[in-house]
Order: sequence, then structure tokens, then C-alpha cells
Amino acid sequence: MTVKIWNFFPREALYECYQCARCTGSCPAIEVAPALGPRETILKCLNLGHDEIVEDERLWVCCTCNVCEDRCPQKIPISDLLVALRNSAARRGNIPDKLEIAIELLAKTGRSMIVHQLDEMRAHHGLAPLLPVPIDEVREIFKKTRLDEVVEF
Amino acid sequence: MGPSNGPVDDKEAMKYAIYLGCAIPIKYPGFEAATRNVCQRLGIDLVDLPFACCPPPTSLKMVHYDSWLALAALNLCMAEEAGLNLMTLCSGCVNTLKEANHTLKKSDSKRRKVNRILEEQNHHFKGTIEVTHILDVLYQDSVIEKLIKEKVRELPLKVGCHYGCHYFRPPKVMYPEELSESESYVPVKMDHLLSIIGMEPTEYSRKFLCCGSPLGANSDQDAGYAIVKEKLRHIRERDIEALSVICPSCFEQFDMGQIALSRKFKDLVKVPTFYLTQLIGLSLGMSPKEVGLDVHRVKSKKLLEGIGIS
Repeated sequence: MTVKIWNFFPREALYECYQCARCTGSCPAIEVAPALGPRETILKCLNLGHDEIVEDERLWVCCTCNVCEDRCPQKIPISDLLVALRNSAARRGNIPDKLEIAIELLAKTGRSMIVHQLDEMRAHHGLAPLLPVPIDEVREIFKKTRLDEVVEF
Repeated sequence: MGPSNGPVDDKEAMKYAIYLGCAIPIKYPGFEAATRNVCQRLGIDLVDLPFACCPPPTSLKMVHYDSWLALAALNLCMAEEAGLNLMTLCSGCVNTLKEANHTLKKSDSKRRKVNRILEEQNHHFKGTIEVTHILDVLYQDSVIEKLIKEKVRELPLKVGCHYGCHYFRPPKVMYPEELSESESYVPVKMDHLLSIIGMEPTEYSRKFLCCGSPLGANSDQDAGYAIVKEKLRHIRERDIEALSVICPSCFEQFDMGQIALSRKFKDLVKVPTFYLTQLIGLSLGMSPKEVGLDVHRVKSKKLLEGIGIS
């Protein structure tokens, strides 16, 4: 199912970009991995619309550190754009395996970490057992937000 | 104390719902033990509630914003119902919960949407609490005064602080009241706190850039480690002896990351990494084992023995 990302991000904000590349010049991800970088992401959104970008796996090569937005002289809400693009990408099946597995775990257990022999480990540090997550409520919430349309769990 | 007035300063009893998140209680319970101990010594009461995952700004938010906001709202509701401000221990958790709190207070439509989902579970987001981080809690005047009185030893080491991007970015959401004229924000509280316990906070290049953890977690582990390797180069250039962090993901990136990197780069000089409350705990007289240093991968035994702590 396609979601119009412009419902989530003010498209006109993109026209503020004059391609100075301060964002991409600050990006820690593009220095070490084949990322698109914010400058090119914005340019492609302007020239091609967002459809092509959400198919591109490089969209996910990002630290989510927000330094691009922090340093943008035009104050473009770049992180909002990236969230909207990736939400749309995930809906079309473009989602890294590692992330899909992480979200499946979160949806099933209400936590982002696997719990294994935890009570003993906590006792080693003089700590009481961890309170249980209200997992039924978490599942009901995800059912209503229709998370399963994007990640099966 | 009125929960709507934000983290309170001075005199009155300080009380927070402690939001542990996932990584700290499950992977690094030593941080939790140190934090509970430090808070008790400094007169900060903590209340445990059955919170769920925050959920992370690096994972669920990127994949399904509506689910991210709704689950964050559930956690916020639990604290609201207990009438307590919420104190997090992690840069990721504080980012999610502060932003969600901010968004839900501001946007009528998002609040209505989330409340329609939560109402069947008998929750209703009202917007009556504030979200804060242990660093900000410790940085209050009354707590600092108590720390100065209670500390039994100083830790004369050159320390490099790493705050974790999500702790302060975007600053307009995380620290709206503390922005400069150009609307930027440079965190300093950890540096200041550590100087109080006799440490020597030392600047280094790339201090405010990412540790690489989310890149490693979501796509490429080696690329994530390449980022931390570059940071460590700048850290060692300044002869920094210890690192201080306020986030378990950043911690893992530095601690595990240095072990992984040292397998590849044999001459890598490792820098022990500490969670902030472990350092504060040591200055309050706790032992390295009591603050959980025995499970760190990069050992700090020699470094601490050098300043008379064993």
C-alpha cells in the first residue's frame, strides 16, 4: 500500500534547499558506507518525486543522529523527511533484515532485548527481578496501529 | 511537588518514575545498580513502574511512526497515572519519550488519535508530566550541593565525555529553553559534573558526532565500528584516559567496539569506558564491583588502581 509521504512532511520545505551539502559533509554514515546522504535525498525528491527513493536500499544507511538537520542553514526538518521516506519504504518491503528482526522481537515481547537468565544476572548486581511488560496492552496497541501491515509478527 | 512543573529544583523531596529502558536492565544491570545507589545517596527517590520498550528512535520510529508514538504514549500514561515525572537513563529513551510527550502535548489531532487507541486499555494521555534524563536530574543545584558534601574521593583522570546524539538532537525538541540565539545547543552538563568529582574533562575533535551504534545495529556492523574507530583516534590524540557516556548503546559501541577493533588493529590502545553514574558512584565511595565495572570488556582495573581505587 502506498502512503503519500507529503501528508507527513511539508513538501514546500524542500524548495528551501540550495544544495550546499553541509548536511552530507557532516554525515558520519556517508563517510564509511554507501549512503545516499541528505543532500542527494532531497535533490532526488525534488527531481524525481519520492517514489524512486523509497525503493533504494541506501536510504537506510544512516545513523539517525540528526546532525544534518542541526547544521542545515535553511532549517529544513530533514529528520522528519527521512522518517517519512523510510516509513513509506518499509511499507513497500524495503526494510533492512536486521531492523525487521528487531521490530518483530519488540512486537512479540514489548522489549528490544532478548531476556535470558536475567534474574541471576541482575542478582549478581544486587537487583530485584525486572517488572514484567504489560504485553497484552502492547499487542493490542500494535494491532490497532496496524503494525502488521509493515512487519509480520 | 506538582508533576506539571517539570523537574523540581531544591528543598522538596525529589521523586521520579525510573525508566530503565531495555538495554540497561537486561545487558548492563551494573549501570542500574550504580544509578539506584547514587540516587539514594543524593536524596532522589525512584519509583518502578511496569514500562514497555520506549520504543527506539532508531528502529520503530523509522519503520512505523504511528506505532512508535502510540507505544511511547502508553509509557507516558503510566508515569502520568502515578503522578510522577519520568527519568530515563538512555539517550535513545529520552529522545523518544521527550519527543512523543512534546508532540502529543502540542498536536490535538495526534493526541486524539493516540487516545482513541489507548482508551480501550483504560489509558488517556493528558500531558501532565515532564520527561528528563539522569544527567539533567543530577545537574540540579541541590543535587550538586549534596554531591560536593558526600563525595569521599576525587578521580584525577583526563576524561572525554560523549553525550549520544539522541540526548540533545533535535535541540528544539530536547532543550527548547536552553537554545542559543542561533537555536543551537551544545551539551556541557556531563563535563561540569565530572569536574566536580575531580576529573579533568578534555575536549576532542568529533566530540558531538555519532558513535556509529545505530548504523551497526540497522545495517552494517563494520561501518559502525569504522565511525567509532575515527572517534577513538581523536580521543587518544588528546591523551584521554577514560570515557564517560550516558547511553547503553554508545557504551556498547565504545566497549565492545574497541575489543572488536583490537582484533583487527593490534596496536590499538584501548580507553576504558564508564557510564556516568559509575564514576559518580566511585567518588561516593562505592567499589568498582559495586558499580558493576567487573563486566566491562575494556578493563579499568589498572587505571583505577593508579589513582588508589581498587
